Amino acid sequence: MSKYYLAWAKDEEIRKKGANGGFVTATLVSALENNFIDAALVVAKKSVYEGIPVLTSDPEVVKECAGSLHGAPINLTKYVVDYAAKKRIGLPTKPCDARGIIEQAKRRQVNLDNIFMIGLNCGGTLHPLRMREMAADFYELDPDSVVKEEIKEGKIFLVSEEEGGEEKEKWIKIDELEQKGYGRRDACKSCVTKIPTSADLACGNWGVPQGEKKTFVEVLTEKGEAILKNAIDSGYVDIEEAPGKGIEMRKKIEAGMQKLATSWKERMDEVSTLSRSGRFEFYVDALKNCIHCGACKEVCPVCACEADSKCLDMNDERDSYAISMYNMLRIFHLMDSCIHCGQCEDVCPVDIPLTLIQRRFSERMQRHLGYIPGMDVKEKPPLYETELRWSAEAE
Amino acid sequence: MVEMKIKSSICPGCSVGCGLYLLESEEGEEREIKILHRKNSAVNEGKLCKFGTDLHTYYEREVLNNSVEGEEVKQEEAIREAKERLGSIKPDELAFIALPSTITNEEILSFVSLASEFGCENVSFGFERFFREIPEEASYIIEKGLSFSEVEKATKIILFFLDPFVHYPLLARRILKAKKNGARVIEVSFAKNERGIADETVLVEPKGIERIKEKKELFEDSLIIGELTPYMNSQFLELMLWINASTTSRLFLLKPFLNSTGAFLLGGNRNGKEARKRKDLFEILGGIEGGEIKALYLLETDLAGAMHGSEELFETISKLDLLIEQNAFRTPLSDVANITICSEPFFMKKGTLVNIEGRVIENGGESENNVQIMESMGKGRSYEEVHEEVKRRLGLAEISEFEIAVKREEKSFEMAEPKIEIEERKEEEGKEEYFLWYKTNPFFWNGIRAKNFVEISPAAMRKLGLFRGDEVEIVQGERKERMGFKISELPDYLILSEAKMSIKPLQGSLTRVEIRRAGE
Ligand SMILES: Cc1cc2nc3c(=O)[nH]c(=O)nc-3n(C[C@H](O)[C@H](O)[C@H](O)COP(=O)(O)OP(=O)(O)OC[C@H]3O[C@@H](n4cnc5c(N)ncnc54)[C@H](O)[C@@H]3O)c2cc1C
Ligand code: SF4
Repeated sequence: MSKYYLAWAKDEEIRKKGANGGFVTATLVSALENNFIDAALVVAKKSVYEGIPVLTSDPEVVKECAGSLHGAPINLTKYVVDYAAKKRIGLPTKPCDARGIIEQAKRRQVNLDNIFMIGLNCGGTLHPLRMREMAADFYELDPDSVVKEEIKEGKIFLVSEEEGGEEKEKWIKIDELEQKGYGRRDACKSCVTKIPTSADLACGNWGVPQGEKKTFVEVLTEKGEAILKNAIDSGYVDIEEAPGKGIEMRKKIEAGMQKLATSWKERMDEVSTLSRSGRFEFYVDALKNCIHCGACKEVCPVCACEADSKCLDMNDERDSYAISMYNMLRIFHLMDSCIHCGQCEDVCPVDIPLTLIQRRFSERMQRHLGYIPGMDVKEKPPLYETELRWSAEAE
Repeated sequence: MVEMKIKSSICPGCSVGCGLYLLESEEGEEREIKILHRKNSAVNEGKLCKFGTDLHTYYEREVLNNSVEGEEVKQEEAIREAKERLGSIKPDELAFIALPSTITNEEILSFVSLASEFGCENVSFGFERFFREIPEEASYIIEKGLSFSEVEKATKIILFFLDPFVHYPLLARRILKAKKNGARVIEVSFAKNERGIADETVLVEPKGIERIKEKKELFEDSLIIGELTPYMNSQFLELMLWINASTTSRLFLLKPFLNSTGAFLLGGNRNGKEARKRKDLFEILGGIEGGEIKALYLLETDLAGAMHGSEELFETISKLDLLIEQNAFRTPLSDVANITICSEPFFMKKGTLVNIEGRVIENGGESENNVQIMESMGKGRSYEEVHEEVKRRLGLAEISEFEIAVKREEKSFEMAEPKIEIEERKEEEGKEEYFLWYKTNPFFWNGIRAKNFVEISPAAMRKLGLFRGDEVEIVQGERKERMGFKISELPDYLILSEAKMSIKPLQGSLTRVEIRRAGE
């Protein structure tokens, strides 16, 4: 049902603060004002390196949160599950947020009818501390002086505030930074889902004519259409048909980004070049360091298990295996559903390369099963155990 | 109105001081706490060990009330009563203890001035005796740590009886990074690390610790990483310092309490001078036992949780005329305290702390209540005044977690060669001799038993005739503990425990025990 528009907030303040046309913010504000949703889940900026999720029913708070934070690699799924599962909410969703929410819906943790996913296209996020180092080492800026950041045309722009309040902009090509080990997180570099087609709307700057402060919006579902109509009817948002050239351009950029992601995926897979025993050693070496803190499970956007999960239940710390049952079970359990968002690796206290490990197992399985997690709520996770639970519930 | 409040906070589990978010959600009556990962935290990049990940359970403990002799009272009354009773006791019969896990720099200053208001010099942050036992010029090693970037840059690291994955889990990744950068890691230990973090292991027998002195060349040009806890055997600390003094090495000692560095720097311990005059935790307990100390003020310190054998502790505490406990949560001693004063939980506090690296970090709360409680009995300063003094004393213009504000300068000092004595024991015929080694960790100091098993060698398993699912009994005189077991590659005589038991470590973290199959 895709329809394409260029859209913008009619409120000049919102439009100015917004990453592009301020459309996402204006849409959420109008949905709150008209009681279309009970709350919005947005990301508050503490600094360019720090964004904090905020669940609010206050439109003013939503307005304050306008703008994109590339240095806030958070996944909003678990916030929806834990704090808004029974509410009608609206939220911006990067592809991995949307995919996580869809997987949770399949596991009956959230009701998609109540969730309005205003998707954000996503070229990737940066780790905030790597971004600070990047600002100091490559941009030669005091990291604390950076007040704005933007990614466009394949470059990362940093704006610093100099003494006397003057702003200075510097940019470096992402490619150049990434060759040197900086730039986006590894999980983002190799992510091929750049447009959140499983959300209700997909918003971004790709396809917007240069110099125009508008948001390119693709309408993907009836819910998306409804929340957009609400924003237009209540006078918060203006739209125009997206030009064919813009639609083409957006597709082209998406394809280019996907190609780049595939090549990163291959380049970063250090295991594929190892011998059989080398691979075994790699896994043992990495996973033996696990301290069983449970953080990877806690943050996993597709895991719907609670404290009685198999990976915890069947793990006995008195076992002396080099790779624990906890890790083995997590690898197998996520084979059909891992979306490779890298949240687990971000929080791992001993830096286990979990994204790569999970990907090596799950990608092959997902290909084999013809299943892409997080894309279509009607497609059940194929692993038997989940089927079993589904049929038990149906009875 | 729907609300989800996120505060930035710090994990009080150890001196690493990991940054985190604490999410308080409220809807109607319901209030829930969740721990989230703060990826912009300079200390830990959002990573947390199991203690940090499970921190919500720490905050879910029973809240302490304000009471006088068991009767619930208003806070002002508890404070008034505390002030009056403290004033009625002779200064040298008073003692103040604060193991500084949840205690901010501002509270340290208020605590010390509260004690001095009553003329009391017995203020313990848990480590005082060590200052007395070492040369003054070496005090800086106890007072200040090193930044983790120094660990990552080191070319040779010696893990001195330290398993980073267990003792200080967030240190492990720094050592792994150092290894990636080309560092050689050597462990000096009673047992080989099961995760194989070291390139080389120098195994030491408990009775042969002395012999490490013959391997001085091993330590040349290295960064030695060890731990200092209130239980440490002084001779063991002297050994570390002697190795450090007589080689071209640096010594980095981690500590179990989050704000140990803040307490050393602000609690009047500069160069260990004042600490030398003070009684330490165990000396104060000895003083209570001997009847010289009659009143004790405990600030956010769960003595029973931090010590082995609560029965003895209760007996000692029962000899006091006055026990005042200021805490956010109930502890086993709350029931016998004469006065309890309820303070705010750590995450709600406003204030600063110094982590082991020397970063001054700010807790994200808003409450000044704890400083106010102590100031209302002491000098009567405002929070701002105390905070300004903290900044002045630490020489801070601004506070940034991204700066190492408390730096240390390496100094040379002389150290006499120490002699290590291992407790003598009469060999009883037919009885196997085992050593129990406590691997301390954040759970250990907070009265939480996260593991219910000890690790033993395959040889011990065979000798004891154990099967999977059996339990063992660890015996030290009258004390007995029943535990599960895990088989690890250990020397035959060694038992490892990450859980705190009633068995007392007589030799630092090491002690002789007997072990048998439970139920025999
Ligand atoms: C990390 C990231 C990468 C992106 N990469 C691309 C790209 O490559 N190509 C492209 O076309 N578009 C990309 N976008 C989308 C684009 O930047 C705009 O968000 C989008 O065009 C909507 O603009 P707007 O002015 O309508 O949104 P706004 O009105 O500014 O609203 C944006 C909303 O996103 C929320 N938000 C901010 N940071 C995050 C975050 N890290 N995670 C989740 N929500 C967040 C804000 O709280 C706000 O509610 C990206 C967005 C993000 C967050
Ligand atoms: S206990 Fe120490 S290492 Fe663990 S999360 Fe807390 S501060 Fe970090």
